[in-house]
Amino acid sequence: MDSGRVRTLVAKEFIELSRNRMVLLPVAVVTVLALALPFGIAIAVPALSGHPLGDDRDLLKVSAAVAAPDTLSSDARVQLFMFQQFLLMFLLTPITGAMALAAHSVVGEKQSRALEPLLASPISTGELLAAKVFGALVPTLAISFAGLALYAAGIVLFAEPGVATAMASLRTFVLIAFDAPAAALVSLQSAVLISSRVNDPRTAQQFGALIIIPLTAILVAQFTGSLWFSAATLGVIAGGLLGVWALLLAISVALFDRESILTRWR
Amino acid sequence: MIAVERLTRRFGLRTAVDEITFEVGRSEIVALLGPNGAGKTTTLRMLAGLIAPTSGTISIDGVPLTRASAAAIRARIGFLTESPGLWERLTIRENLRVYGRLYSLDDLDRRIDRALDLLLLADRASTRTAELSKGMKQKAALARTLLHDPPVLLLDEPTSGLDPEVTRGVRHLLDERRRAGCSILVSTHNLDEAERLSDRVAVLQERLVAFDRPAELRKRLTSGRVVVRVAANAPTYADVVRRVVGPHVSVDVDRTTIAVHLADADRDTPALVTALAAAGAQVLEVRPDTPALEDVYLHLMTDRTEQVERSDRRDGGDRRSRTERRTPSRVDDRG
Repeated sequence: MDSGRVRTLVAKEFIELSRNRMVLLPVAVVTVLALALPFGIAIAVPALSGHPLGDDRDLLKVSAAVAAPDTLSSDARVQLFMFQQFLLMFLLTPITGAMALAAHSVVGEKQSRALEPLLASPISTGELLAAKVFGALVPTLAISFAGLALYAAGIVLFAEPGVATAMASLRTFVLIAFDAPAAALVSLQSAVLISSRVNDPRTAQQFGALIIIPLTAILVAQFTGSLWFSAATLGVIAGGLLGVWALLLAISVALFDRESILTRWR
Repeated sequence: MIAVERLTRRFGLRTAVDEITFEVGRSEIVALLGPNGAGKTTTLRMLAGLIAPTSGTISIDGVPLTRASAAAIRARIGFLTESPGLWERLTIRENLRVYGRLYSLDDLDRRIDRALDLLLLADRASTRTAELSKGMKQKAALARTLLHDPPVLLLDEPTSGLDPEVTRGVRHLLDERRRAGCSILVSTHNLDEAERLSDRVAVLQERLVAFDRPAELRKRLTSGRVVVRVAANAPTYADVVRRVVGPHVSVDVDRTTIAVHLADADRDTPALVTALAAAGAQVLEVRPDTPALEDVYLHLMTDRTEQVERSDRRDGGDRRSRTERRTPSRVDDRG
């Protein structure tokens, strides 16, 4: 694989993206929601209603799942629990990006008739698909990390004392540094794979939306307190996701059929 | 140099290209002529290594085109696809730069400038291609095709939809590439273009119906037919002509011209002119009746259609087979 060719195509994707920023709107909306929901629920609502979170016995019980320092107040414990849970929302950001960008990647090129000259160049299938994945991954991760930076700043500024320090854990680091990019890679690769097998970007997007179902299930399970991933478990999950990505990349290359893409798609 | 041997491509039950054999030498332009669905685009795609032949062989500059050699061969080919296929949010220069890097070209800026100058696009280099006219897009696509100085050019309808001035420029450019030693295969519907541009013409309708120089193709249809133009009263000289050529040869006459088929034009033309002059005719012009390439093409197509129909009848009128031949399938019906 010629990394120069991959970089060239990724740079091309960035230029196109910079001139069509509206395609990043869904990612931006999910990021804003991922920021607004936790601060609304954990900070704004208790402040406006006059009912501190720590007064809710059920919430206190559920938040015991988080290994919080003893020095934290009951309000802070519940906030920590909530901010930890809502952190998972930032996994949704790159996945939304995947659906918006990667689903359109191959089939979009075909529809704009730009794919045939590209396939007639010396680029290999692996290079093309890798470029499509990284061309979508980098901008969505950038938005995602920008959102995370705002999330961290908001916790420092508005959460109860000690919450920000408690959030800065190994678990948070693993989730942000490994699970988020790995989940994004899997969803992007799935979307690119689907995009190279269907003949309409809408079909690719609809299939891509299915990726969100297991993640939503994990999110709901965590909120009900029935599921709690430790840092080690999250590390294992990240490793598993990278394995799935490698497998999907191999399948994508094997299933990418230049011939039927050119002759069967209209 | 392009060499094609018994090249065949089937899509399911439909045969798009059937055992075609031809070659395009160095410094040669061959025009690929044929109706829609004749297999022109399929042939070009096979030559560009984009789709695999069902059977037969292709070699480019002596290297057989295989799965293993396809990437290296693609680097030696410039393929102009039917649509310009530019990235519309990128400028012309950006489009060219991406392709230049995909081809790992050194001295890229100089090459891009040269390609832009060659196609008179320098002043539009920073324009996004979405804003260009169809002709400009086609020129930009041609610049992309020529950027890496490929020794082999495959061009699918390079002047389709272009105005005459741009068309002329493109022809001039291809002529220059030919002089530079390129092997050029041009698919076109434009018979005038084929005649002006190409050294040889390959007429395709699934099979290779004819492959020859345009002048030789025209001769096939017309050998020996001569047109004599006289000052006036041509019908009065019809009998004189019949006496020279014999009573069974048809003589077409209108007010000032006489067209007649001579068994041996070189031998019989002087006798015909002498007889007409002796009869008092003022002979203004004598010329061989050369048909347009279009007439030759239509003649060849008619022959081919009749041939297919006869073959179908011989095969017991297999309706399914006939339907498949005439109705392009869902797959690749552009040919």
